[in-house]
Amino acid sequence: MTTDDDTQLLDALRDMWRRADPPPPGLTATMIAAVVSADLDQEWELLVLVRDSAQEPAAQVRGLATARMLYFTAAEGWSLDAEIDGGQVRGQLLDFDGDMGSVEVTVETTDGQSWTTSLDEVGFFAIEAEPTGSLRFTVRLGGSVSSSVWVAL
Amino acid sequence: MTPVLWHVVRAYGHDRSSAEDVIQATWLGFVRLHRTIADPQAVASWLITSARRGAAAHTKAARRAAPVEDEALAAALPDEESAETVAVLDDEAARLWGAVATLDDRCRRLLRVIAFMDRPDYHALSQDLDMPVGSIGPTRARCLAKLRTALTRGGER
Repeated sequence: MTTDDDTQLLDALRDMWRRADPPPPGLTATMIAAVVSADLDQEWELLVLVRDSAQEPAAQVRGLATARMLYFTAAEGWSLDAEIDGGQVRGQLLDFDGDMGSVEVTVETTDGQSWTTSLDEVGFFAIEAEPTGSLRFTVRLGGSVSSSVWVAL
Repeated sequence: MTPVLWHVVRAYGHDRSSAEDVIQATWLGFVRLHRTIADPQAVASWLITSARRGAAAHTKAARRAAPVEDEALAAALPDEESAETVAVLDDEAARLWGAVATLDDRCRRLLRVIAFMDRPDYHALSQDLDMPVGSIGPTRARCLAKLRTALTRGGER
């Protein structure tokens, strides 16, 4: 139905409108600002890193010295405790009242590796993985997705 | 994506600041609903459809608002036909601009929306443009034909 001539004419029209009636210079930035300042908490949760063993004085207990402990909280009230040590990423989802079996935890690294697992009935998870570089956690529960910032290992 | 939404909304004849409002509402709607869009490939098409609906709804609301005389006057003097606009165009584009100006509102709107959409959804377009779905294809062809005629006439002057 569309001939090449029509396509060419529409291309010329598009080019003409782009030049004759361009969007205001700051439009994209204004839209980004509007989206950022919107209340995103209910749509896309951020897992906030509230404790990191790397930021604390060296562990006094032998055996934990090599483990990296991270503790995240989400605005909905639950939290994620994680430990990275010896080829394993282990952790537990805390203060979550819903069905633990439906929750998925994903560990991703900036070099593109990714591991996903579900929780056991009390919220524990363990992934055989030796992440390097930086990693982040993503928790999928119910309809929401919560991701942490990237944490350098 | 924002520049494409700009052209789609401006096709409905909104002034620049109303167009910004419609685009902002589109983005905020996207933020609220993005998890319901299962296919990432569908995001662009969702945004364009939502912007068109927003623009069409804004037109209806503006009509209901029964503008006072000054506003009616401003609406009747579209900034898009100013001398400044034509000055930024080269000869060929200026000729095209002049030819588009001879088209009726419906043709101008349809061509501008279609020009900025990769795969126009005729069914959704028919609702927004108040045209039967079967008439969009023929209307598009008729509008392009009118444009070609206007271009030819302009070239003969």
